[in-house]
Amino acid sequence: MRAVPCLHEYLAKAAGSRAPPQLAKGFAYNLTRHAGLLDGSPAGQREGCEGVEEFKLKFYTNFIKDDRYMYLVKGLGNTLAITFLAVLLGIVLGFLVAIIRSTHDKTGKGKIANMICQVYLTVIRGTPMMVQLMIMCYVVFGNYNISKLIVATLAFGINSGAYVAEIVRSGIMSIDQGQLEAGRSLGFGYAQTMWYIIMPQAFKNVLPALANEFIVLLKETSVCGYIGMMDLTRGGDIIRSRTYEPFMPLIGVALIYLVMVMVLSGLVGKLERRLRTSER
Amino acid sequence: MSDKGEVLFQIRDLCKAFGSNLVLDHISTEIRSGEVVVIVGPSGSGKSTFLRSLNLLEIPTSGTISFEGMNITDKNTDINKYRQKIGMVFQHFNLFPHKTILENLTLAPIKLLKKPMGEAEKEARELLARVGLEEKEKAYPSQLSGGQKQRIAIVRSLAMHPEVMLFDEPTSALDPEMVGEVLNVMTDLARDGMTMVIVTHEMGFAREVGTRILFIDEGVIKEENKPAAFFENPSNPRLKEFLSKII
Ligand SMILES: Nc1ncnc2c1ncn2[C@@H]1O[C@H](COP(=O)(O)OP(=O)(O)OP(=O)(O)O)[C@@H](O)[C@H]1O
Ligand SMILES: [Mg+2]
Repeated sequence: MRAVPCLHEYLAKAAGSRAPPQLAKGFAYNLTRHAGLLDGSPAGQREGCEGVEEFKLKFYTNFIKDDRYMYLVKGLGNTLAITFLAVLLGIVLGFLVAIIRSTHDKTGKGKIANMICQVYLTVIRGTPMMVQLMIMCYVVFGNYNISKLIVATLAFGINSGAYVAEIVRSGIMSIDQGQLEAGRSLGFGYAQTMWYIIMPQAFKNVLPALANEFIVLLKETSVCGYIGMMDLTRGGDIIRSRTYEPFMPLIGVALIYLVMVMVLSGLVGKLERRLRTSER
Repeated sequence: MSDKGEVLFQIRDLCKAFGSNLVLDHISTEIRSGEVVVIVGPSGSGKSTFLRSLNLLEIPTSGTISFEGMNITDKNTDINKYRQKIGMVFQHFNLFPHKTILENLTLAPIKLLKKPMGEAEKEARELLARVGLEEKEKAYPSQLSGGQKQRIAIVRSLAMHPEVMLFDEPTSALDPEMVGEVLNVMTDLARDGMTMVIVTHEMGFAREVGTRILFIDEGVIKEENKPAAFFENPSNPRLKEFLSKII
């Protein structure tokens, strides 16, 4: 079996450069099957053995050979970097917009700022993420040679900010008016009351919703490939285009997302329970 | 007592309208230092609006309110500085649920009066002891009964050393058995000479602790008098009707 990966690899590479993908894929697949049949093991054992061996082989070709797992590692690094930076930008933007909007709702101040925010929310929530990403890359920064990481961070951060804004605003509006009055009557200014009294409560209330928004964001970054950014999804896809073997890299990518989302969701659940038990 | 103190509030032709609804209609009165003014009247008559105008939670539509000779309805007044001198207790307590009882009491003194934490806490503990809740300092508001919450709300205001305390139906949201503990705190406060303006339906308390009673009806002070005379010889027909209904 040891020779087979080499052959497989060689054929795939050779075919990949010239032959149409469909053909190359079928060709390589047939060869692999064939190689299995040539194996001289007894017929009874062969079925099970073949399965395991084939899996090992595929795993080897897709992830180990030529350090291909590095596509996933680098891609995952980019996915996490974009998500993390976009989360920060989203939080800053979202809180800013939420405060402007709820201040306007409560006091009627800041009409123009509120209008700008409303346009922002409408546009961002009314157009697909992928279109926003491509506009950011090819229209806004079309003539600049700027890091794709920055482009993606901006696009996703600005997008996420719109959703964070509405989450935070609903959190602020859910705080009883009496809290504002209590703060003001003690002598706190509007901003101080927001900072010391309203926001901490609003933040606590919306923390689970915020965390969920970021889980969504993590998954949404998978469209990064469309601007030529190598994120986790793209990393898996590159492996697929090298090995002509979709199963391993794509299922691998899906599993990595799934594990991250499950871990994060678990943390959110824990957080929710802790928030509920504290102070109650 | 009520005639001796210096004038704190001078209220002239105070009007407040919500849209076309005129809620306060040319109210004029004064409140002196050391007075315990109790405001009674039917629901929707403007009692809360009047009280809230005193610390500018409601901005008067017209008329003036001066406090210690300073016109607070003037646009240039520092509202926040002014409010530090006026304590306010609400029907629904409005404690800060994300803070412990001790933090509820120390937040404003630390942030607004720039008191060192230790000093603010020491003073807060004295105040808690005064209302018999010193063992609750680490609790959160949601762990307290209504009566306890309201006592905390009172001392939270007192921690700012206000010159006047305003109460808007402080016992109306309480179970009957808890009304007494709150009224006792307020009675003690009155005995200590605090100037108080209280909207309440507790006529026994008004009579016993009040130094003057205002009857507000349809946005107008229809009658004001010392408690005994107010209850025994009401002259306004609307007040007579009101008293006959509630006593
Ligand atoms: N923010 C507001 N906007 C519009 N109308 C208001 C507002 N606040 C009070 N009002 C109206 O003003 C009138 C007087 O209200 P206010 O709360 O002062 O009455 P009240 O005497 O305190 O009554 P209650 O005994 O029920 O507390 C009511 O008709 C009320 O609907
Ligand atoms: Mg009222």
